Amino acid sequence: MSNEQKTERQLSRTAAHDEEVRLEAAAELGDGNQAPPAVPAGAQSGELQPGLRESQSLMQRIATGNALVAVLAVIMSLILGGLLIAITDERVAEAAGYFFARPGDMLSAAWTAASEAYLALFQGAVFNWEADTFAGMIYPLTQTLTVATPLICAGLGVALAFRAGLFNIGAQGQMIIGATLAAWVGFTWHLPVGLHLLLVIIAGIVGGAFWAGIVGLLKAKTGAHEVILTIMLNYVAINLVLYLLTTPAFQRPGSSNPISPQLDDTALYPLMFGDGFRLHWGFVVAIALTVLVSWLLNRSTIGFELRAVGANPTAARTAGISVTKGYVVVMVIAGALAGLAGVAQVAGTEHVLTAGVAASFGFDAITVALLGRSTPWGTFAAGLLFGAFRAGGVVMQTNTGTSIDIVLVVQSLIVLFIAAPPLVRSVFRLPAPGAVRKGPKARKNATAGGAA
Amino acid sequence: MKLELQGITKRFGSLVANDHIDLVVEPGQVHSLLGENGAGKSTLMNVLYGLYEPSEGRILVDGQPVSFSGPGDAMAAGIGMVHQHFMLVPVFTVAENVALGNEATKATGMLNLSQTRAKIKAISDQYGFDVDPDAIVEDLPVGVQQRVEIIKALVRDAEVLILDEPTAVLTPKETDELLAIMGQLKSDGKSIVFISHKLREVKQVSDLITVIRRGKVVGTADPDSSTTELASLMVGRAVSLTLDKAPAQPGEATFRITDLTVLAPNGQRVVDGISLEIRRGEILAVAGVQGNGQTELTEAVLGLQGHVSGSITLEGHELVGRSVKEIIRAGVGFVPEDRNVEGLVGPFSVAENLILNRYDQEPFAKGLGLKPAVIQQNAREKIAEFDVRTQSAQAAAGTLSGGNQQKVVMARELSRPLKLFIASQPTRGVDVGSIEFLHKRIVAERDGGTPVMIVSTELDEVLELADRIAVLYRGRLMGIVPGNTSRDVVGLMMAGMPAEEALGQEQEFGTEPGSGEL
Amino acid sequence: MKNSLRMTKRGTGLSAAVLASAALVLSGCGAPPEEGGSSAAPSAVDYTGCIVSDAGGFDDRSFNQSSYEGLKKAEEDLGIKTKEAESQAETDFGPNVDSMVQAGCDMVLTVGFLLGDVTKEAAKDNPDTNFAIVDYSDPEFSDNVKPIVYDTAQAAFMAGYAAAGMSQTGKVATYGGLNIPTVTIFMDGFADGVAYYNEQKGKNVELLGWNKESQNGTFNGGFDNQGKGKTDTQNFINEGADVIMPVAGPVGLGTLDAVIEANEGKPAEEQVKVVWVDSDGYETAGKAEEYILTSVMKLMGQAVEEVISTDVEGKFDSSPYVGTLENGGVALAPFHDFDSKVPADLKKELDEIKAGIISGDIKVESKASPK
Repeated sequence: MSNEQKTERQLSRTAAHDEEVRLEAAAELGDGNQAPPAVPAGAQSGELQPGLRESQSLMQRIATGNALVAVLAVIMSLILGGLLIAITDERVAEAAGYFFARPGDMLSAAWTAASEAYLALFQGAVFNWEADTFAGMIYPLTQTLTVATPLICAGLGVALAFRAGLFNIGAQGQMIIGATLAAWVGFTWHLPVGLHLLLVIIAGIVGGAFWAGIVGLLKAKTGAHEVILTIMLNYVAINLVLYLLTTPAFQRPGSSNPISPQLDDTALYPLMFGDGFRLHWGFVVAIALTVLVSWLLNRSTIGFELRAVGANPTAARTAGISVTKGYVVVMVIAGALAGLAGVAQVAGTEHVLTAGVAASFGFDAITVALLGRSTPWGTFAAGLLFGAFRAGGVVMQTNTGTSIDIVLVVQSLIVLFIAAPPLVRSVFRLPAPGAVRKGPKARKNATAGGAA
Repeated sequence: MKLELQGITKRFGSLVANDHIDLVVEPGQVHSLLGENGAGKSTLMNVLYGLYEPSEGRILVDGQPVSFSGPGDAMAAGIGMVHQHFMLVPVFTVAENVALGNEATKATGMLNLSQTRAKIKAISDQYGFDVDPDAIVEDLPVGVQQRVEIIKALVRDAEVLILDEPTAVLTPKETDELLAIMGQLKSDGKSIVFISHKLREVKQVSDLITVIRRGKVVGTADPDSSTTELASLMVGRAVSLTLDKAPAQPGEATFRITDLTVLAPNGQRVVDGISLEIRRGEILAVAGVQGNGQTELTEAVLGLQGHVSGSITLEGHELVGRSVKEIIRAGVGFVPEDRNVEGLVGPFSVAENLILNRYDQEPFAKGLGLKPAVIQQNAREKIAEFDVRTQSAQAAAGTLSGGNQQKVVMARELSRPLKLFIASQPTRGVDVGSIEFLHKRIVAERDGGTPVMIVSTELDEVLELADRIAVLYRGRLMGIVPGNTSRDVVGLMMAGMPAEEALGQEQEFGTEPGSGEL
Repeated sequence: MKNSLRMTKRGTGLSAAVLASAALVLSGCGAPPEEGGSSAAPSAVDYTGCIVSDAGGFDDRSFNQSSYEGLKKAEEDLGIKTKEAESQAETDFGPNVDSMVQAGCDMVLTVGFLLGDVTKEAAKDNPDTNFAIVDYSDPEFSDNVKPIVYDTAQAAFMAGYAAAGMSQTGKVATYGGLNIPTVTIFMDGFADGVAYYNEQKGKNVELLGWNKESQNGTFNGGFDNQGKGKTDTQNFINEGADVIMPVAGPVGLGTLDAVIEANEGKPAEEQVKVVWVDSDGYETAGKAEEYILTSVMKLMGQAVEEVISTDVEGKFDSSPYVGTLENGGVALAPFHDFDSKVPADLKKELDEIKAGIISGDIKVESKASPK
């Protein structure tokens, strides 16, 4: 590098900020009318991989977006989902056949289809007014809480990593490994009540933490990108558990089906309301974890470090915070949380280890964290919502014959809308951020002088 | 060509960036726009250049109203802009860069560069630019790259040239050359809109000065006005431009750098065998054009650089090889050159930023837990002490103005007992009013007996603060000269002349020494 | 064939429905039905049969689909009502089965061994509801559960014999989706059939992709990677195999792709042939029918319908239904296009083998066979 180039790089480093102001200003204009930046944004960063910084900040903006946008995204997705239910309904299709002769038929059929489906969803997720007993009435709610448990645990792991600037796609793998280790302890060892469950929980934590710790370590030591690492380790995890399930150590005696023996009763989370409900104490653990993560993030020195590393790694480093150590620490904690989600599966609801024990919870957890804007209680709420979708979807399918895939569509739409806030804003005619109230990025525009 | 802006108003949401600005640029005139950072100069020029659409008002060219929907329209109307950050493709040749955007093609659709080359030659000869059309842009010095930008505008027959903070990236010598070129262009009948906040340059080159503050024109001045007058107009109150600084009372040298070499990741020696020492109660200013190793030098002291050889000692303790945290704990206060990238965590509150490197220490933390009450209390105190203008201690640091952000960084670093204070570009992008305050704090720290190292690319700042001046060029020390050394000598050293030679040349030509103030 | 472990996303059914409805909307000029007229015929019997799929879904071209079709056929033939619940993941099994019981189903049919535990528990808790489970049997089942299992090895044995008899190169091959019993039972039977052919004829036809002794061979790692199925098949063809049996659900389509490419421009006798599984591939695979020699059929729909009709008649019993050659639960499909090319002798021998297996003279043994 010649000295002049060097100079250029240095210039661009400071230049990037004024550039940012211009970009920000143009973004506010909303017309995208903007001169190209003088230097690629990546050039501004000395030691971080160029380019990644930019993508990271985008991911973070998505991950920590506006709460209103999140709520509206859910509403829009439900509306679109309703349309889809109506379109795919047979009665609607039938009525559409003579739409021009009697249009009211189709519209009322469409309304009936969508409203029935969503009523059934509600009935299956929150409250069943048709039940004979009180227990039957609240049964759906307990189902929601049960399904929400692993989503909340894994979602917290994803959210925590987001806050440290890491896009943890690996909750699925971490959950699987945690569940595998926990299940093995649960069905292989035979220990007294209390101790057994404790060891199962610890095994789950260790499994998840180890699996995620690999990612943190590799990123810290070699700079490998965590998205690629976590995705690949997901594959490794699923194939590892598939392999383990072909070995006698993980199979039932006398059977070669890839399904483990049942965990000992001593290894299971006790049920909260007795045999009639599937809700187990894992849910209480999830609440406790939310409190813990909330404290960790906002009130502890570790959280301070993690948030600093996530928001501005260069400044964190200059302030003496070890960014690499931060990566390892946050991944270990995130993995432990995902591991606990795995424990909720094997020791809470499934009681056995199979290849599909994590369902798609590890991936749904990403959506949950996004929807919860990466805050602990936001994640908790989003976990409940997704739990409700899943629990209610089952009943909706049984009672109205609506495909449970609709739930998947709605969930996917939520992600889509959250990732595209301008779309949501334009639909609901919300002002752009910064127009009225200054967003954090619009720094220099909001100078004391008040002029750009 | 006569250019008129009438009642230009530009709003971003509720924010008024330009408030009914009127401006007339006569042919053959250099019209300067003077204002602090964030006053609305760049917005105004972006409106003029078609990048922004004005919310109100109109633009007239030779009396005819025009409307630009993009830079292309502006260029077609004869307006050219040289941005502060060059819009050049580094790996292209000069000719290719100039052709970019209005490429002449042959009948076959092939690029016809010879035509462009000839034009560049012609312009280069006319104004003495000395630019080779076939040179690769990234190999050229910054000053020449800037000329390429000017050529780009001239090739498109620009009659009005907008130069946005063109001197910010230049050495003093290059600045002088640019000012000369501006004179030539003017005498050739071109109009120039010159944007700057450097009073000296503005006075030197302008025919008329328009001062903008908070989006409004607050007055016009002619170049004869005194700098104090201009500064007061700019800031909106009386400011003192000279620093009242008692002579240094240096004690023993407690900070020593010996034979320090820093390698960039590509193996280049970015700091090359530097030795210096700083005494207690003394400010050593490190001068140099940006990118000559100053950044790496300061980062090496803080332990942020990877490949460091040599020795850095503070009160006899070696710093090389220790972690950033250890070095900070050893009593090194550090104001990084770019507060947004290195100094502050934008989304964090002011309160959090004020403890960014002490969050895990008493009294702000106990065990793993933070103590919010103490942190708040600390924030209230520092905000009051350093006059940080913020809505609250909870406001995100990123929403503060540059000057207030810098005060937060400075408050953090100066609020603990220091054995060494390093500040890089302590006043870059800071309004004039805050500069005064920050400079006073730095001098106060010196007077408290701390060795202070200031790194600045602003020669004015260096001359104002320094008790001694060290000049870096391409990673090497050109020498250390007294604080009252003349601007010209330091300028020569910044261009790569060793101290003895520069001082010798000085005497030969008999320039007045001590033109250090502004 | 077992399909629950595949991790694919479904939804083709849904999108197809969207398209169909869209088409209807576009042509919305039909005549409305008479007001008040009810066209739905009253159900013949007051009986609700319900089905819960495993994570493969009802459009898996495998056992979920066959079982579902069996239930639908029962609905048509017997006039019963039906309910269905598709599981998206294993975590849905419990809730799905529960909600079926709550919905008042007379019979809850579950599909696959992964639902074994859930079915077992639900059956214990709800002794008034009858259950049936496809492809899984458990001695701990209470007496309101009827396992529906298949001794697929019997039909696969015949396929192995036929394949060995039709091979020109003296090499045949098979591969599976995952190394699980419902897959390997095909491969064991196939291997035994080949071995029996060698024994009878004093030949040495080689089987690639499966070793019955070590219970190890070529596996795809799942039931969704058709590309991998294609590569595996190409490898077998390169090694000289000319009859290939894929036991991996839709992955078999990859095999057909590879075979179509390999057979291009080859004379008929050198062409590579395929043995399909589960259903008659000549009718269901949708391509390369001319290369499908035969299929090892597992007639699940038939068994499901039978179990339901017995229950409707009130004659439910919990003794396992084991599909065999004898009761027609498993069978070798017709040769279709190859009918004229398969030597009469070979056909005769296959008939004898079938009779031998039914009578017990020929023993087909697989670790995975239902006990």
